[in-house]
Amino acid sequence: MTTGEVHLELLLGRLVRDSDGRPVGRIEEIEAERVDLLCLVKEFHLGPHALGERLAVPVLHAFGRARKPLRVPWDLLDFSDPAHPRLTCPRDRIR
Amino acid sequence: MLLVHDVLDKQLTDRHGVRMGKADGLVMLQEGDGPPRVVSIEVGSLTLARRLGRRLGRWATALARRWGGKHTESYRIPWTLVRGITLEIAVDVDAEATRVNVVEDWLRVHVVEHLPGGRP
Amino acid sequence: MSRLIEIALGIVTGIGGFLEAGSLATAAQAGSEFRYDLIWAVIVGAVCLAFLVEMSGRLSAISKHTIPDALRERFGIRFFAVALIIMELVMFMVMATELGGVAIALEFASGVSYRWWALPVGFVAWILLWKGTFGLIEKGVSVLGLITLAFVVGAIHLHPPLAEVARGAVPRLPAHDHARYWFLAVSILGASISPYLFAFYSAGAVEDKWDVSHLTINRITAGFGMGFGGIVAIGALILAAIVLHPLDVQVDSFAQLPLLLTSAFGRVGFALFVCSLAIACFGAAQEIALTAAYMLAQGLGWRWSENLPPAEDARFSLAYTILIPLAAVPAAAGVDILKLTNISMVLSAASLPVIVAPLLILMNDRRYVRDYGNGWFSNTVVALITALAFVLAVVSFPLLIKGGG
Repeated sequence: MTTGEVHLELLLGRLVRDSDGRPVGRIEEIEAERVDLLCLVKEFHLGPHALGERLAVPVLHAFGRARKPLRVPWDLLDFSDPAHPRLTCPRDRIR
Repeated sequence: MLLVHDVLDKQLTDRHGVRMGKADGLVMLQEGDGPPRVVSIEVGSLTLARRLGRRLGRWATALARRWGGKHTESYRIPWTLVRGITLEIAVDVDAEATRVNVVEDWLRVHVVEHLPGGRP
Repeated sequence: MSRLIEIALGIVTGIGGFLEAGSLATAAQAGSEFRYDLIWAVIVGAVCLAFLVEMSGRLSAISKHTIPDALRERFGIRFFAVALIIMELVMFMVMATELGGVAIALEFASGVSYRWWALPVGFVAWILLWKGTFGLIEKGVSVLGLITLAFVVGAIHLHPPLAEVARGAVPRLPAHDHARYWFLAVSILGASISPYLFAFYSAGAVEDKWDVSHLTINRITAGFGMGFGGIVAIGALILAAIVLHPLDVQVDSFAQLPLLLTSAFGRVGFALFVCSLAIACFGAAQEIALTAAYMLAQGLGWRWSENLPPAEDARFSLAYTILIPLAAVPAAAGVDILKLTNISMVLSAASLPVIVAPLLILMNDRRYVRDYGNGWFSNTVVALITALAFVLAVVSFPLLIKGGG
């Protein structure tokens, strides 16, 4: 699937809906992997726990409150309309 | 590596260790069947303005078209030039040779040097 | 030897830099209206300030990043933009107050209205920043600021009732005018725990190229410097309690304040007061102008350093060049400086959370502070100060309306 250029900084906070149009969560973090000189995007982290992961890792861990965010693999997200990212499957398939 | 936690908004340093702005934006490109790649880091107030709101972004774009000369978009550093990522992102470019400081230079020539004691 | 000099200088920075228009005016108001009852607020303010200043210095000595840097990098541009707007507004107000303070001191000395002094004072402040270096400004402000010790000497000279002073160090409910009492308490805290100081101090650590070896100096500067600085404010409060309270005057203009020192030192006291006010306010105005430019430059990734000639960091230098004359406008327009002082101190208190709460996260982020992060004790202290900051933010505006008059 070719969607051309997407500005990652503009995806933050965007609400992702699933294939049935139901809300899944907001994009708060993006996981990537450096392979040689490339940087490959692997997963998008959604929801309030992803925000917690980004902002307050040490503090939340200290209180044992850090919970896992929703993780969506790159191939399940469609960015053909970057303002309205969509899951290509129903939201129950994500954990 | 977490792109927001570790890369976006971080301090950039050039190959001489000189600070050259913050990572204001990240451009992702998706072609063919492989996973999307981060292809460049953007540095520029235009990118920042777009992040702060759609209206501010449009306003900044119009301003850049009018006053920006031939450069109407933010400066891009190709990801292949990224070296170390610690608290700062080291990139293999020479800040002096890029246009990240065009505004800085313009203000020096047109404003600062006209003020008393502004010429070093 | 050079270490000893640095330590001495650090302490001097704390003493000389503590008093400014806000802490002087609020301490005098507290003393004249509630005698020694609000001494505890000065102490709480100085202790909180010492902890936060120490952390700001440690963060920058270890990471070589300043607080504005870290706010942007760690919390993103949206949070930074909010913090930036709030901080710049507060700094503008406080700077207008300080420039007004210098102008009033010059009015006392010359008889010419402060309105005429505001712009010239702003111009001198600008020239010093434009041509000077960080070291010159930091050391100049601190050493000249030692003259404010006159308030401590004056207070001792008038033999305050020590038992009552000691009782004032313990917080308690007021006997009268509850709203006014708490309004002054919040103003004193806002004047002591100035949010701009942390950004200024952390930028100073980077300007002075601090590293791990400066952590002890940092701790001493923060602890003793801010401690002694608090004593200067307590001196002013005690003088007001002794001199102004019996006269039953409520401080409603700076014109009443020279009495604090003339009662202790006679005519010399007048000169001491004028010099203290002028120097303390001028120093604070310089620090704030620099901090306002630091905030912008560091958060947005511009080149910055007070040690570079303006041509090398044009945006940074132009930031304070624009801000200073703007901040001189309220005084030049004849705004009541004491009212302005009270409003800016309350705004200062209200803005505290945006800079204090992030420290809770930053001082535990190993990428910034490595092995020198906060222990459980410091974390508890920041958590308490953050809670206090949120309380101050919430109560400040209602109190300004009910007790500000």
